Amino acid sequence: MPLTTNTFARSSILMLLVGAAILIGIVLSSLFQARMTQSYSDEVIELRNARTSASNLFALVQAAETGQRGYLLTQNDNFLDPYERSMEQVIESLERLDGALRQEQTYSETIPRIRFLVEEKLTELRDTVALAQAGDSARAIEIVRNEYGREVMEELRELLLSLIQSLDTRLNEGLAELTDASKSMQWFAIGGGIVIIAVVGGAIIIVSQHVRELSRARSAVEELNASLEERVEERTEDLMQANREIQRYAYIVSHDLRAPLVNIMGFTSELDATLAAVKSYVLADGGTPTEDQIREARLAVEEDLPEAIGFIRSSTKKMDGLINAILKISRDGRRELKPEPVDLSQLLENTAASIYHQVDEAGGEIRIAVGGARGMVSDRFSLEQIFGNLFDNAVKYRHPDRPLHLAVRAMPARRNSIRIEVEDNGRGIAPEDHERVFELFRRSGVQDKAGEGIGLAHVRSLVRNLGGEITVTSTLGGGSTFIIRLPSDLSQFVRSSGS
Amino acid sequence: MKAAAKEVTIVMVEDDEGHARLIEKNVRRAGVNNEIVPFTDGNSALDFILGSDRTGASTQDRHLLILLDLNLPDMSGIDILEKVKSNPHAKRLPVVILTTTDDEREIQRCYDLGANVYITKPVDYDSFANAIRQLGLFFSVMQVPGQ
Repeated sequence: MPLTTNTFARSSILMLLVGAAILIGIVLSSLFQARMTQSYSDEVIELRNARTSASNLFALVQAAETGQRGYLLTQNDNFLDPYERSMEQVIESLERLDGALRQEQTYSETIPRIRFLVEEKLTELRDTVALAQAGDSARAIEIVRNEYGREVMEELRELLLSLIQSLDTRLNEGLAELTDASKSMQWFAIGGGIVIIAVVGGAIIIVSQHVRELSRARSAVEELNASLEERVEERTEDLMQANREIQRYAYIVSHDLRAPLVNIMGFTSELDATLAAVKSYVLADGGTPTEDQIREARLAVEEDLPEAIGFIRSSTKKMDGLINAILKISRDGRRELKPEPVDLSQLLENTAASIYHQVDEAGGEIRIAVGGARGMVSDRFSLEQIFGNLFDNAVKYRHPDRPLHLAVRAMPARRNSIRIEVEDNGRGIAPEDHERVFELFRRSGVQDKAGEGIGLAHVRSLVRNLGGEITVTSTLGGGSTFIIRLPSDLSQFVRSSGS
Repeated sequence: MKAAAKEVTIVMVEDDEGHARLIEKNVRRAGVNNEIVPFTDGNSALDFILGSDRTGASTQDRHLLILLDLNLPDMSGIDILEKVKSNPHAKRLPVVILTTTDDEREIQRCYDLGANVYITKPVDYDSFANAIRQLGLFFSVMQVPGQ
C-alpha cells in the first residue's frame, strides 16, 4: 500500500503535535510537582521549627524552674544566672512557636493555653524569686508548696509533649508525601519518556517508510524514463524505416507501372505506322498496289499487327496485375486485426500440414519447437498467412540436390515479444538481395520458378501490421533463416501505439 | 562502331520483352545492323558476358556493348554494372544504362560505378523512339575497345 504524500504529511504533523503535547504535559506537570514538593518541604520545615520551638520552650521553662528551685533552696545568686537567661528566652521561644503554628487551625486552642500556662508559671517563678530576694523565703516556699506551679508545669508538659507528638506525626506524613511526590514524578517522567520514544520511533518508521517509497518511486521513474527513451528510439527507428520503405515503395510502383505504359504507348505508335502500310494497300485508290506495298502490307498484317496487339494486351494485363497486387497489400494493411489467444504450436502444425505431403514425399522433414513461447495474443488470420507464405517459399525454393529440412523455433524475447525462426536448407539468398526479397515485385536468384515477387512483400507488411519485424539471414546455397519478432500481446501493442 | 563495327555485339539486358522489341526496332531504324543478344534476367546476362564461371575470361576476344535496364526480376542492374566494371577483363566494355528511373541518386551511383551513358526511357513514344534512334546513331560512330 503506497503512502501518499498527503497522508504522510498529515500523519507526520500529527506525530509532531502529539510529541509536542506530551513534552508540554511533562514540563507542566514537572513544574506542578516541583511547586508541590516546594510547598511540602516548606511545610516540613515549618513543622520542624515548631517542634524545635516547642521542645525548647519546655526545656527553657524547666531550666527556669530548676534555677528558681536552686535559688530558693540555697539563696545562692549563682542559680539566678540560668534562671535569668531562661526567663529571657522563654518568651522568645513562645513567640517563635506561636509564629510557626499561627496558620495551623488545629492548634488554635492549644497555643493560647500554652501561652496562659507559660505566663502563669513565669508569674509564679517571678513572684517566688522576688519574695526570696526580699528575704521572705518562707512565703516563697509556701507558694511553691501549694502546688499550683507544679500543676501548671504538669499540664504544660503534657500539652507540649502531645503537641510535639502531633507535630512528629505530621512531619512523618509530610516526609511520606514528599517521597510519594518524587516517586510519582519519577514515574511520570518515565511514562512520558516512553511515550515520546514511541512517538519518535513511530515518526522515524513513517519517515523512513516514506523515504523508502520515494526512492522506490524515483528508481521506477528513472527506469520508466530509460525505457521510454529506448522506446522512443525504437519507434523513431521504425518510423524512419517505414518512411524509407514508403519512398522505395512509391518508387517501385511508379517505375513498375510506367514500364507497361511505355509498351502500350510504343506499340500504339507502331500500330499507327503499320496502319500506314496496310492503308496504302487497302485504299490503293483504284491504282494497283506495287509489289513492295503488297509485301509490306502482308508483313504488317501477319507480324507487326498481332505483335503490337499482343504486347498492348499483355502490358494492360500486367498493369492490372500490378494494381491488384498493390490493392491486396493495401487491403491487408487496412484489415481490422482481431487479437485473440493463439496456440502458436497448434497454428504452426496446422499451417505446416498443407506442405507436409510434399516435404515428406521428397524425404524431408519439418520440426516445430515452440517451447516456452506457446501462448500469445495475436491475429490468427495474419499469422496463418505469414507462415503459409514462408512455408510455401521453403518448398518452392528448396535445394534441388537435398531433401528439405524445415525447422521452426519460437522463444520468448525481450520486452514482451516472441522471436520465431523459420530455418530451411534451401537454395539461400545472396547477401546483396536480403532486403530486396522483401520488396514488391522483386525476386532473387535464378528465375526458374513462376512468381510475381509479392509473397515476401506481403509477409513483411503483415508482420509490420502485427507490430513486428521480419529479417533474413542467409547465404547463397546454404539455406535461409527468416527471423520474425512479434509482440506477444497484440491487443497491448495496439493500445500502446494508439491505433 | 567504325573500324570494328562488324564484330561488335550488342548485349541487351531488358526484362520487359515489349521494351526489348521497341528498342530493337528503333536501333535498326537508325541503321545499326549489329547482332543484338537479348536477355530478360541478370543471371543469364552475366553468364553470357562473364562466362558461367564469372571470371570474364571468355570476353577477352569479344567486342561487346551492353545495354542495361536497372530493374530486373532477379537482381538489380546496378549489381550487373558493378560486376562488369570490377572485372579486369570486362571493365572497358561500354555500358549504356537505359531505364525508366530518373532518380538523381541512382544516376550518380551508376556513373560512379563506371557507367558510360545513362538514358531515361521517356513514356512518350516519339521521344522514346527518338532517343533510341539517336543512341543507334551514336553506336554507329563510337569506338568499342578490343580486349
